Amino acid sequence: MAKGKKESLIMTSGEAVGTLAAQSIGEPSTQMMLRAFHSAGISSVITTRGLPRVIELIDARKRPRNPGMIIRIEKKISKDYEKVREIWRKLEDVKLSALMSGYDENLRSGVMTVHLDPERLSSYEITGRTIAAKLGKREDITTEQDEKDIVVKIKKKEGVKSTRTVFVNVLNSSIIGIPGINKAVVQQDEDGTFYITTSGSNIGEAMKIDGIEKEDIYSNDPFEVLKNYGVEAARNTIANELISTIKEEGLTVSYRHIGLVADAMTLTGEIKSAGRHGIAGEKASVLARAAYEETVKHFINAGVFGETDRLSGVAENILIGKQIGVGTGRIRLGVRKEDIKKLK
Amino acid sequence: MLAKESKAKVYLDGRVIAEAKSGRAFAEEVRKNRRLGLISGEINVSYLKKLNEVHINADRGRARKPYIVVEGGQSKFTPELEQRLQSKEIDYNYLVRRGIIEYLDAEEEEDAFVALSSDQINQKTTHLEIDRASMLGLTMNCSVFPEYNSIGRHPISSNFAKQSQGLYAINFNKRYDPRAFIMYYPQVPIVNSMAYRALKIGSHPSGQNLVVALSTYYGYNMKDAVVLNRGAIDRGMGRSMSYKTYSDEERRYPGSQQDRFKVPPPTTESYLGEHAYSKLSEDGIVETETQVTEGDVLIGKVSPPRFLEEETSFGVGEEKSRDNSVTLKAGEEGIVDNVLLCETTSATKIAKVRIRTERIPEIGDKFASRHGQKGVVALIVDPNDMPRTKEGIVPDLLLNPLSLPSRMTFGHMLEMLGGKVGSIGAKQMDGTAFSTEGRALVDEYGALLENYGFDKFGDEDLYDGRTGEKIKAKIFTGVVYYNRLMHMVGLRLQVRSRGPVQILTHQPTEGKPRRGGLRFGEMERDTLVGHGASLLLKERMLDQSDKADVWVCRNCGDIGYYDYIKNQPTCQTCGQNELEKVEISYGFKLLLDEVKSLHVLPRIKINMG
Repeated sequence: MAKGKKESLIMTSGEAVGTLAAQSIGEPSTQMMLRAFHSAGISSVITTRGLPRVIELIDARKRPRNPGMIIRIEKKISKDYEKVREIWRKLEDVKLSALMSGYDENLRSGVMTVHLDPERLSSYEITGRTIAAKLGKREDITTEQDEKDIVVKIKKKEGVKSTRTVFVNVLNSSIIGIPGINKAVVQQDEDGTFYITTSGSNIGEAMKIDGIEKEDIYSNDPFEVLKNYGVEAARNTIANELISTIKEEGLTVSYRHIGLVADAMTLTGEIKSAGRHGIAGEKASVLARAAYEETVKHFINAGVFGETDRLSGVAENILIGKQIGVGTGRIRLGVRKEDIKKLK
Repeated sequence: MLAKESKAKVYLDGRVIAEAKSGRAFAEEVRKNRRLGLISGEINVSYLKKLNEVHINADRGRARKPYIVVEGGQSKFTPELEQRLQSKEIDYNYLVRRGIIEYLDAEEEEDAFVALSSDQINQKTTHLEIDRASMLGLTMNCSVFPEYNSIGRHPISSNFAKQSQGLYAINFNKRYDPRAFIMYYPQVPIVNSMAYRALKIGSHPSGQNLVVALSTYYGYNMKDAVVLNRGAIDRGMGRSMSYKTYSDEERRYPGSQQDRFKVPPPTTESYLGEHAYSKLSEDGIVETETQVTEGDVLIGKVSPPRFLEEETSFGVGEEKSRDNSVTLKAGEEGIVDNVLLCETTSATKIAKVRIRTERIPEIGDKFASRHGQKGVVALIVDPNDMPRTKEGIVPDLLLNPLSLPSRMTFGHMLEMLGGKVGSIGAKQMDGTAFSTEGRALVDEYGALLENYGFDKFGDEDLYDGRTGEKIKAKIFTGVVYYNRLMHMVGLRLQVRSRGPVQILTHQPTEGKPRRGGLRFGEMERDTLVGHGASLLLKERMLDQSDKADVWVCRNCGDIGYYDYIKNQPTCQTCGQNELEKVEISYGFKLLLDEVKSLHVLPRIKINMG
């Protein structure tokens, strides 16, 4: 039975899988458009949903609107809330401006006094000294730590404007956590294991934290995954994100269609969009490219470089009026020369 | 600045003219004087509390509505006045002049506190509606039981009313409208409203009272389909005449040339052939009461040539002329109803030919009640096959009961009841907005129906005409006013197997007037690709579209032609004669031409497999 099932899933040679995938994803997407606005469930981490998310993935946007990670914890401490909290503290990116109650600046003398907020300090379990030490790593300023205040002095005075820029940079500098991770939330599985979801993605930095399952960080940003885990993982990320987005809308699309799209996007080892800047724009055929978008550009370039169109694709053959090489057009009947003689 | 109580600004038509200590008191003062007749009754004033401004409007174009003035909790329209009005001692204008009725515009309405009926008046009330129905406009007041229908159905029903066929003008016989429809036997609705009667719309009715049963019919009236009774159609139900006017003018051109209405001589340019002009009379215009069909010339007209001819040694030769006749459009037919000849203001002759066609209801025609319930005729059933009551009443129209609950048009059902009572009792029923109370109305109608020996809810025992069996369920049957809408299949039906092609692309034309086909577009193409139906796809995109045989040079790959004088194919680019006949789409040949215009030379390499 298993064999029969498997064989029923194998495509026949010449099946127009690309067109089928496009239609199978395209049709439910039109329904997505109709009901674009609705939020489901309580979720502390915001994610892009619905059609915008699908477009974001297929267009292979370098900066997704709401990147996020799911971080698994090493097994031995994954049920220990305190230890997970400790990891969590290292994740969330906290800026100096979030730890202070206010600041005074004197742009002429290049001195800024940052008033630290003790309540916020204690909530993040951090002291003024560590902040000063962290800021001390910067080369353009010197820091002195008071009881509650940190006095920042600029080393080179180059005018009011650049002084102000430095001060703004100091206020925005990360004190604890990983840059890019705006928020992290500790969540618990049904079996009691803790994991952390974040808004903002930075796998490379997160891997450096001890106690994190380094091989099991999930990010919804395919480019992040590509950089850290490789192209196969990136392909799976695209496919998983697409299918979960579609599922969220209450629609069903077979994984094979989506897998095909993800395969096509990552075929070359990097992530390419499905549009004119990616797969469609890099087709071998001049006519197929010209038929899609930017007709004149493709023809002129073809003329300049003396390109040849082998007329092997579907779009070209429809254009010139030949039978397409898909489906029934894939089969050709051949007769050997000797056999022709026999016929005669 | 805000601390001090500032004075109210007074605006007249949007310009500040004065300040008032108290805006409210000022506005009241203006109103008082208006009611006394000291200032014009066409002035409206309002006080805007938030802005502390008084706006006086005296400009044109404000929509205004009459109200009865209420002062001190007392309507100024006293019973005594009512009596005098009824005895015609005074008239409506008297009430307006005396400040008993005043007109408010949209802005002043914001200041008013209007009671719907006299028993709702309290100390705060400023005005009283003349009638509850007057909260709606004229259009809405012409519909029946509007308050029982879902709000979204009203604009829909209003749209249908605009599209309905009826007696739009008494002098339709003397009019030459580009398109017109006249219903043969329009009726005044049995259930109508006060505004309908007051506006005398009944003299231009646009529908008929049909016996409607809320019943299915073997699945033929699913969704918005309706089933019609052939017997009723044969007796004239829904029958109408459609008129279409073709017109043309004898234009004048520079050089004292002008068009001429006449039967074009066979020497004219683009002569359509003798038979096309056969229905024209001597003056070049078609005879009245002749049957004309597609392609027949209605107005024969010859125009001067587009370019002046040069003088020959024999002087100016005989003037060539061009045929510019008006022909009946594709898919149309009818009888020439009348011909009108007259002159335009620029003293040119103008001819109008009116074609008349009888339109008998057929499958695909559209009908609608006055409650936004439209339906397309799906089946016309012989009367013997229709369901019937024990009295032998056969419904004219079968409406699917599922049309009603989701659209919430209770007015439709009330009209069915009211129409039934009215048709049995031979009297007009009233369905004016807000004049009735639903339950009491049903009881009233129920009592009347029982009096006549019918079921009080309007239900009937129906017998299936096909089997003769009694239908188990009781079926709600009544009389509803139905409009026949101007969308009829006869005007839209179109088919094509072969036909004209476009000159530029050699592809089939599009649209009914060009006898065109339906576009087999990109998405349709993808469906065939998805199925792998490669030969079917090729047939659609090439064989039945713009197939072209093109000669391609084996030497240079450019497109050549066949020289029929030398009887050999020729390549213009390299001058050789070794060319191959290739079957491509003409669209591709055009594309190659356009690519050439980009200064890119496409070459076709032929591989003789």
